Amino acid sequence: MIDFGRVQKELQECSKDFEASGIKVSPKADNLARLIGTIPGPIGTPYEGGTFQIDITLPDAYPFQPPKMQFATKVWHPNISSQSGAICLDILKDQWSPALTLKTALLSIQALLSAPEPDDPQDAVVAQQYLKDYQTFVGTARYWTETFAKTSALGVEEKVQRLVEMGFLESLVRTTLDAVGGDENLALEKLCSA
Amino acid sequence: MVSDSITNAYANSAPNAKDFAKKKRANRSAKLKQCKLDARREQWLSQVKNKQSSEDWKGENRQRSGSGQLLENLETRRQRDDQNGSVHQDSDSESPSNSPIGLTSVLSGNHLSGNCIGSSSSCSSGSSTGCFSGSTTEEEEGGDDGCLDDWEAVADALAADEKPQNPPFDPPPKGETVGGLQSRGEHKEELVVPDSSRPECVKRPPRTATANNQAWRPDDAFRPQSLPNLSKQYSFPDTNRHYGSGPIPWGCNKAISAPSSCPICFEDLDKTDSSFLPCLCGFRLCLFCHKRILEEDGRCPGCRKPYEHECIEAEPSLLEGSLTFRLTRSCSMITRT
Repeated sequence: MIDFGRVQKELQECSKDFEASGIKVSPKADNLARLIGTIPGPIGTPYEGGTFQIDITLPDAYPFQPPKMQFATKVWHPNISSQSGAICLDILKDQWSPALTLKTALLSIQALLSAPEPDDPQDAVVAQQYLKDYQTFVGTARYWTETFAKTSALGVEEKVQRLVEMGFLESLVRTTLDAVGGDENLALEKLCSA
Repeated sequence: MVSDSITNAYANSAPNAKDFAKKKRANRSAKLKQCKLDARREQWLSQVKNKQSSEDWKGENRQRSGSGQLLENLETRRQRDDQNGSVHQDSDSESPSNSPIGLTSVLSGNHLSGNCIGSSSSCSSGSSTGCFSGSTTEEEEGGDDGCLDDWEAVADALAADEKPQNPPFDPPPKGETVGGLQSRGEHKEELVVPDSSRPECVKRPPRTATANNQAWRPDDAFRPQSLPNLSKQYSFPDTNRHYGSGPIPWGCNKAISAPSSCPICFEDLDKTDSSFLPCLCGFRLCLFCHKRILEEDGRCPGCRKPYEHECIEAEPSLLEGSLTFRLTRSCSMITRT
């Protein structure tokens, strides 16, 4: 059973601190077991200016087990799968501690964006490129940021806002948009038929 | 008074003391003894006072007890003081008890073997002395000088603590609750005043309590040179109140900043939780979360090292601030420097 009391408090703490950290955690659905985290790309990196969304799934034993996190936004990084968004980060695996929170875990992911570890890669292709042709890596990473981390994030928020104004619940809008891959019209169709 | 018999006992019966220390160690878990110790010491103090006044050192009256007798003794003393009417007489009359007492140490040694182990409440005064000397020597073996320091403070606190427990005596009028230093300052002035000027002298706080507020006087010629400076003793914050708190766990009054809520479950820490320190790294959490972690990977969330289950029992390995309510009082004192 997830400690929802703790999750609730974590969300409150995180929203209080949003101005300083830029990190946001919001529930996808009403049961708080699935959340979406948002981190800004670190300044001075190819990810600067992007907003990255991370899917969070809390295991039943949370906080005694690490939350499952993976990038929902496509990102070009040696330790993040360019296909699935899976993250290679020790604190999300064996180095998890119950004293960590969703916010600190997201901060660690943000730090991982600034400090890639190509020797312990998640995505071998990206890691090879990082090691052998750093300039190309930077270019690709920046292109991916521009392509996926800016428009999609902004677009999603705008789409959500428009659909909410139509009278749908925000959490429902988000899940529906997620389910149809971000297409606003498909989501509207689905929402109306539901 | 207690401290000097501690050192005397230690000096005179050092070889035996090791045996006592072992027995004491075996008996360490008897927490109740601490409460009884206070009461016994109270009796003992009054009896020693009585011995001084009656010049009877061989002491059948060691077996005497009871508040009625105690009051009677005090009355006797008070009359003597009225005749002499000076501070110096008071402290002089006390000095015989400070002089090396082979008798006391032998007595304490004899009583120790029997009384310390069986914690019967009818133990005579000697047993409380024995307990003190036993644990002191034990800590001496560890080579920790700080324990002496603490023993003095504890002796003070015990003396301070006993005052409220004396039913026939009114609470001290002034200076007593403020702290050892101040009460000592006023102590002499108060005693210089002749008793005839006090109509309510029966209600006056007994000199025993006031005189024994500190284990040693700064000018005490019999105070062993090996003891740490008395000024160290003053530096203890709120010594009387702190040590005299009796059943309140020592760790609770620590100024160490403990989190108000458990960092794992975010629930408020209660008193037990906040005095619970399972890991040397200082990471605190509530007992529920701790249990849960032990059931799973058993690593401290703060430092990721496996919890050592023995660390709670192995008191000497705990450093300052890591005392829990589980520790006996004597163990706590070793580490509190």
